[in-house]
Amino acid sequence: MSSRIEILNDGGFRSDGRLPSELRSLAFDLSPQAGADGSAMVSHGLTQVLVSVFGPREAKSRAQTMHNRAALNVEVSVAPFSTSDRRRRGRGDKRVQEIVAMIKSTFEPVVQTALYPRSQIDIFVHVLQQDGGVLQASINATTLALTAAGVPLLDLVCAITAGVHSTSPDSPLLDLTTLEENDCPSVTVAVMPRSGKLTLVSLETRVHVDVFKGILEVVGEAGKVLSLEMKRAVLARTKMLKDAMGAGLRTAEFAEDAGGDE
Amino acid sequence: MATISLSKSEKAYIQSSLKASSSLRADGRRPHDYRGIALETGVAPLANGSARLNIGKTNHEQSGGTEVLAATKLEVEDIENGDGVEGGRIVCSVSCSPSAYPHVSYAALDDLQYDYTTLVQDILAHPSLHPPNLSILRGKKSWLLALDLVVLSDSGNIYDALFMAARAALWDTKVPRTRSVEYRANGSRPAGGNDMDVDQEKQSALDTRQVKTATDFELEDYWDEGEPLGGRDKWPVCITLNLFPPLYYLDAALQEEAATPLRLLLMFSFKSQAPASLQGMRLMGTDDIDLSLVSGLIKEGEKHAGELFVAINAKLKEEDIRRTEKARRRFAAVR
Repeated sequence: MSSRIEILNDGGFRSDGRLPSELRSLAFDLSPQAGADGSAMVSHGLTQVLVSVFGPREAKSRAQTMHNRAALNVEVSVAPFSTSDRRRRGRGDKRVQEIVAMIKSTFEPVVQTALYPRSQIDIFVHVLQQDGGVLQASINATTLALTAAGVPLLDLVCAITAGVHSTSPDSPLLDLTTLEENDCPSVTVAVMPRSGKLTLVSLETRVHVDVFKGILEVVGEAGKVLSLEMKRAVLARTKMLKDAMGAGLRTAEFAEDAGGDE
Repeated sequence: MATISLSKSEKAYIQSSLKASSSLRADGRRPHDYRGIALETGVAPLANGSARLNIGKTNHEQSGGTEVLAATKLEVEDIENGDGVEGGRIVCSVSCSPSAYPHVSYAALDDLQYDYTTLVQDILAHPSLHPPNLSILRGKKSWLLALDLVVLSDSGNIYDALFMAARAALWDTKVPRTRSVEYRANGSRPAGGNDMDVDQEKQSALDTRQVKTATDFELEDYWDEGEPLGGRDKWPVCITLNLFPPLYYLDAALQEEAATPLRLLLMFSFKSQAPASLQGMRLMGTDDIDLSLVSGLIKEGEKHAGELFVAINAKLKEEDIRRTEKARRRFAAVR
């Protein structure tokens, strides 16, 4: 028995007691931030990401606009207290730029940018806590924030991280924590569940092709589960908005009736 | 330094209603009323102390308001070879999210967060407020207390929010308990005689003095995360007086802020059984003010700061109880 924490023990459980294909507890919060057109807070276990979306709106600089479609502008800021060792990551940081590029390329084919020529959609990502799967949480939160802002998307993009541990190559681990991310080769995949298409596959290290096929299958399933949960969150939010508007309408009708009687 | 632009007529409208004999504000507050303040501590699990503060969140729709996240982290610093200083040091930084200032360019945003950082650092890292328990080993190791504030959204009165959040996070900070470790040379030179691998300090072989100082420390294993940061009552609160001399009002919303030409920031520290001390003062804006009015304003500011201080303290104590209660219940469940 080594002193190292076992990624997958003999009973088939992971270090935090999950089964290989079990996700961490999910939380979606679509309540808006001040000023933003749409925002979402997503937690996968201890990883927590807040995304605010502004737009489509006029770009801050004309140079960034395109005559036939909207430009996506992604900014990622990582809170200095989000990891166990404090570190400030500015906009120029390589890791941050990588996440920015990946979020951008994930959403460019999904957002119907052609509907908004000469405008800009700003996506501001705040990483508040990190415990593995920052990219997946950022993508999921961005999907929800874009939905909350009413930006037309082809489908909800659901991202999930999967890894394989050498002891059981046929049962991929889903939704990795930092501990597992450091020890396993991992791949982050963004799925569009309705069409089954992928918009992002980002592999950090190498895995065997045979294993990779198995991972993709499991990830596709996970994407469907995630999209169901997302739809539930969006529906709940929309229902609340609808009820709120209905309440407004009812008072308006009431006022009208009262006015008619006079 | 208004962060939004306002038309002349809108400005005139806000100004005249604030100056009116029975002053009117857009949200129906009286001039010296604050918006609702929401405060929660312990929001960042990886920090030594943390708080989330919101001024002006509306109840029916969970949105809006000025929101600040504050967290402290403690790091060990080496005094001899590193940046550490005797007794520890405090470093503050404020970062503004671009979503808080959606109309400000990135260069301006950097300037803004630099301004906030300088102010917070000036006030909080002042020697008169320095906590007594930030040293670990005299002359060797000390704690670096890093306070990070993140402005998630700004709907006015950001300075009061920053200092309140900072106060809450510092109040919540727990310094890990340490125990110093001493390696005693057994008679002759310790040539592998010690069972512990010790980094030998650069000692001369001719040095025969008895060196009996602790060389390192270890963390004590204890049920809680450590003892609270010393002198936590002293952390100041800030009151922003928005001035139309001789009138003033508190807790300006974003539009009101843009229509106000002059602001006076006052930071007060309250110690038990001692008069309040003024820790800092800034006058900001394009207008000027008669000197004779200032002392009266400081008195007024002290009164409001006192009220704010009492309210925050009550809330912080409540949060302490809520969280220890939670910890106790979890402990009981595990047992």
